Amino acid sequence: MKTKQLIKDILRHVVLVLLVSFWLIPIVWLIATSFSAYPGRNTSNFFPEQLTLNNYIALFGSDTVANFKAWFMNTFKIACVCCVVSTLFTIMVAYATSFSKFKARKPMMNIAVILNLFPGVLSMISVYFILKALNLTNTHFGLTLVYCASSGLGFLIAKGFFDTVPRSLCEAAKLDGASQARTFFTIIMPLSKPIIVYTIISSFLTPWTDFVFAKMILNSGISDMWTVSIGLYNMLERSLINSYFSIFCAGGVIVSIPISILFVIMQKFYVDGITGGAVKG
Amino acid sequence: MLFNGVIKMTTTDTSAKKETFLSSLGGFFKDFIAAVAKGDFFVKLSVIWWGAGYIRRKQFIRTLLITALEAAVILFSIYFAPQYITKLGTLGTVKMESVFNLETMKYDVNNYDDSFQILLFSVISIAVWVVALFILMKNVIAVYNLQLKSKRGEHLNSFVDDLNALLNEKFHVTLLTLPVLGIVLFSVIPIFVLILVAFTNYDQQHMPPAELFTWTGLTNFINLFGGGGLSITFGYSFVRVLLWTLIWSLFATFTTFFGGVLLSLFLRNKRTKLPKLWRSLFVVTIAVPQFVTLLLVRNFFANNGIANTMLRDIGITQVLQNIGLIPSDYIPFLSAPGWAHVMIILINIWIGVPYQMLIMTGVLSNLPEEQIESASIDGATKWQTFRHITMPYVLFVTGPSLVTDFVKNINNFNVIYLLTQDVYTTTNQALANSQAREVDLLVTWLFRLTQEYYNYKMASVIGICVFVLCSVITLVAFGLMTRGDKEGVYN
Repeated sequence: MKTKQLIKDILRHVVLVLLVSFWLIPIVWLIATSFSAYPGRNTSNFFPEQLTLNNYIALFGSDTVANFKAWFMNTFKIACVCCVVSTLFTIMVAYATSFSKFKARKPMMNIAVILNLFPGVLSMISVYFILKALNLTNTHFGLTLVYCASSGLGFLIAKGFFDTVPRSLCEAAKLDGASQARTFFTIIMPLSKPIIVYTIISSFLTPWTDFVFAKMILNSGISDMWTVSIGLYNMLERSLINSYFSIFCAGGVIVSIPISILFVIMQKFYVDGITGGAVKG
Repeated sequence: MLFNGVIKMTTTDTSAKKETFLSSLGGFFKDFIAAVAKGDFFVKLSVIWWGAGYIRRKQFIRTLLITALEAAVILFSIYFAPQYITKLGTLGTVKMESVFNLETMKYDVNNYDDSFQILLFSVISIAVWVVALFILMKNVIAVYNLQLKSKRGEHLNSFVDDLNALLNEKFHVTLLTLPVLGIVLFSVIPIFVLILVAFTNYDQQHMPPAELFTWTGLTNFINLFGGGGLSITFGYSFVRVLLWTLIWSLFATFTTFFGGVLLSLFLRNKRTKLPKLWRSLFVVTIAVPQFVTLLLVRNFFANNGIANTMLRDIGITQVLQNIGLIPSDYIPFLSAPGWAHVMIILINIWIGVPYQMLIMTGVLSNLPEEQIESASIDGATKWQTFRHITMPYVLFVTGPSLVTDFVKNINNFNVIYLLTQDVYTTTNQALANSQAREVDLLVTWLFRLTQEYYNYKMASVIGICVFVLCSVITLVAFGLMTRGDKEGVYN
């Protein structure tokens, strides 16, 4: 009996190791290639024959194709603004729809659900023309506007969390003479740390991971203006890939480091926020 | 609660809600008419001069503010709106022409019409007027209430009281104003504009500012659904792209869902050592941004990529070639129909399973443990427990999110675009004529139509189709789910 259990356990972990290694192959390839001395795609060997740090150095050099420093700063700038505005918008809408029982609440929430069904790619075309009419294409301000303006629509997760906050707390605060605004800032906000951290990180990540909007709005071809995602995508153009593939990998590794850290922090809050809400309610 | 919230909003009270929404709108109109009919002279006057009712009650700051707002609306209606609204019927008639001016040695451009600007600013003007009408009516009702209050000798709210109210009972107004404004400008108006574009001939031959476009009625819809002559193959492509979109969403949603459930069950099993370590290793794969991993994987599986080299070295390519599965000495992972379809779904499993696993870990940590224990005491097998306790619970909690995942996958732009753009070219002439490819989803087709072919009219029609598809699926699925209301079982 015991040996049978032991064999089962070993088998279980062998399967796990196989699964994990399957899942890690691309990541290992990414990191390995980023150190490769050969600039293009190495089509004969998985691991590079010669190792070098030059790809990382090239990212911060003066090459306009690999203008990584500018891209990183651009994205960082946009991400910071986006993070503040989107978080405020999302939390504000979530609080209003969860705590204030005003007349237009239900119709408004329905409209929000319907709007969410429209593919973003569709409205993007006319968003582009609106920005063009305002002379905001090829500006970071325009791109930031696109990321932030309709962020209020993503309120559902935060609302689900707010719904689980006991109403008696608000009533007590009201009896003590606190205004709604004060209740919001001094009582509800501290209680909702998980969902607020989640919202902050996810809105910070949007500009780092978005590809479509950036490509559409920053289309002038001046690499100083780009964000990380379009910059890296551009390195894989047919004429460039053979001299930039390893540098692309190095860029991918560098972007992934801060994003992974934030992501790992966020996923804890995500799971807490969502399932806490789902079950308590 | 979150999920319950979603269900409630979309279905349970759809019927009740529609009534309340319409009836509240009706009530609003009734209030307005009553206010105009029963109000005194100043209330009646405030239909024309918005500040009238306030000046009667000696509320000067309010009078000033609302009059300034009215003035702004009037100026907007005189100086801005007419130049566009008047041309909405034709979308402009004067084409851009440039004449070389010998005196200044420059090209003089005539005062041409820009069809898209006419469309866009007309929609904006109409939106402004709708809001202005609403404010007008709301204002009349408010002034009438003031009149009633003063008649009863009650305290009238001063301007300072108003400001206080914005932090108290009207706090939601303070909170919602900016976000709603953003949504209207960057979601609602664009959607309206795009819906209108579907009824025009806005494409590469009709590109403002150089050319005009105009209304064409239902022509684009007829083209899409197959009535459009021999050269246009949009109908043919639409059916194929739609079919693949649905197949893709179905597979993408269910493979990652069940993969996630199985993986997280596997990891949370008591006999698995170091579950946290394993979990983190899986999470690493999704922490790397999608555009990096997808572009990387695409090169991994390129025709002359490393995967092909390795398979050729082992001799698998040779075997496949011998049995006639592939015509070349490489495997066209992402460049031939069939192969590409399967690869896309497989690569999506690689991306999606860790993500689902994360969510499932949270969901499963709230499993009804007592039920499982009592089941195992009663001698239930593992499969029975899974089938009759775990799965129903998981489906109950995540059912609604499964539907939203399905809809998200219909619109899953990133995976398809980043994996196949520049790599996959179709050999099917009929598809190529309408700029579609076998692996395109409706959204990627739409995107490429606009980005590469400037065919805005067809893109808009496809966009409307995507919306209809998504809403039908959502409504039907939530309807089915709420029919068997099992909320009581787990609460």
